[in-house]
Amino acid sequence: MSDKPPQIVLIRPAPAEAALHLSPALLAVASPILLLLGWEAVVRLEWLDSRFFPAPSDVLVALWQMLLAGVLLEHSFWTVQRVLIGFVLGAVPGALLGLVMGLSPWIRAFLKPAIAAVYPIPKVALLPLIMMIFGLGEPSKWVIVGIAVFFQLLLSTLAGVLNIDRIYLDVARNLNATRLQAYASVALPGALPTIFAGCQLGLGMALIVVVIAENFGTSAGLGYLVWRSWQVFEVTDMYVGLMMIALLGYLFQLAMGWLERRLLRWKPAATAMKGTP
Amino acid sequence: MRSEPKIAIQGVSRSFGAVAALARVDIAIAPGEFVCIVGPSGCGKTTLLRILAGLETPSTGQVAITREDSARPLNTMIFQESSIFPWMTVRQNVGYGLRLRGIRAAEIAERIAPLLELTGLARFADAFPYQLSGGMKQRVSVARAFANDPELLLMDEPFAALDEQNKALLQEELLRLWSATRKTVVFITHSIDEALVLGDRVLVMSARPGRIKADIDVPFPRPRSVVELKQDPDYVRLNHDIWLLLRDEVRPAA
Repeated sequence: MSDKPPQIVLIRPAPAEAALHLSPALLAVASPILLLLGWEAVVRLEWLDSRFFPAPSDVLVALWQMLLAGVLLEHSFWTVQRVLIGFVLGAVPGALLGLVMGLSPWIRAFLKPAIAAVYPIPKVALLPLIMMIFGLGEPSKWVIVGIAVFFQLLLSTLAGVLNIDRIYLDVARNLNATRLQAYASVALPGALPTIFAGCQLGLGMALIVVVIAENFGTSAGLGYLVWRSWQVFEVTDMYVGLMMIALLGYLFQLAMGWLERRLLRWKPAATAMKGTP
Repeated sequence: MRSEPKIAIQGVSRSFGAVAALARVDIAIAPGEFVCIVGPSGCGKTTLLRILAGLETPSTGQVAITREDSARPLNTMIFQESSIFPWMTVRQNVGYGLRLRGIRAAEIAERIAPLLELTGLARFADAFPYQLSGGMKQRVSVARAFANDPELLLMDEPFAALDEQNKALLQEELLRLWSATRKTVVFITHSIDEALVLGDRVLVMSARPGRIKADIDVPFPRPRSVVELKQDPDYVRLNHDIWLLLRDEVRPAA
């Protein structure tokens, strides 16, 4: 025994948390705004060469003018259209094949090596081949986007189905579910959270691919805007294109997050939050 | 009563690779009988149940189950772990077996309403499983099995993960539901108490590879009260007898 007097350990309410009343939504907006402000400052102070890094305010002015002229919406419209058509073309068969491979060990064993071999090829490297087959027009853009999205959805759906607790399939089997019923009531809903994750990745991939594809055989689309601005050294326009692409990506994520919250009401809120931007 | 068995298990064994899970098992179960199987963990009792459920096949021997009504499902299993679908509401989960059989939504609603009432789930009918406690989730499992209305109920330690109070409540609810329907039940458990409270008959299994070591009639009249029954001196004696049988089996495994 020491001869120090006994100490009292106090456990009390945490200091008022109200002081830190920042909502996550507010914090989420703060980082892009701070980035833009910092950028603006650095250019105004001439620490950065404004020929390569025009100030955000200049980019916004250019963006506003292009918006008023209607050009920007037209470019955006073409890009969105290509992304959406390509996405549906790739996502639907990708998810379906993922479900089938997930539930059938035989089909999985048969197809997996082929997919593992093709998957690592950068999809953009297939573009010349696809333009040879489908021509320079719209179909080649849909197809290249479709291929990129297909693999993303296939792999995430497959992972999702394989991740479903076996017991749910046992229940379906024990209650004499047909194969189709097992797909509809167990495999699809059980894999839906990962399918959504795949959709998020797939949309990002679709934007990357479409921007590159729009360098060829078109005079519309945000990718075209960026490439043409590069050729004629209109750096500000190039940034307008980049900003619109970023904005589109963000809007796609928002839409996905909204859809996910509607369809995954069965997920506890904490895990559903992960998917939201 | 036991002349025409509902289930005749004859010389059934099962091995997984080099591991023998079940050694020749012979059991005859009468129609409407509530049979509990107790045994040490890893003795193959779940394997036996999965064979009855058609989720596993025996390595040798055969099982003959008499089917009375081809319009009703033959068996429904209630699993130990939570097996209700997280993506369905309580109502959808309970009606799942009926929905698979193509029964109209209105009829399903009509058939499951009394079950939701009896199991105290009516208030939670539109909740998702993540909003339920463990006891409520197992009630959904039980209600789903009874809604499916099979000839044979196969239960694999369905209450093992519950606390004592919930366990007693669910056992009483199960007995009430069962006495109204008189289905044939095979109930797996590692708890002697549970086997004696619920069963007409207790089969004691040996350590792996499992075989039937003893076949004990449970003489207590029904309806039984889960809590009262445990005070009965006969109950205490029987409980002790079975414990002595099991103790020999647990020792080598420990």
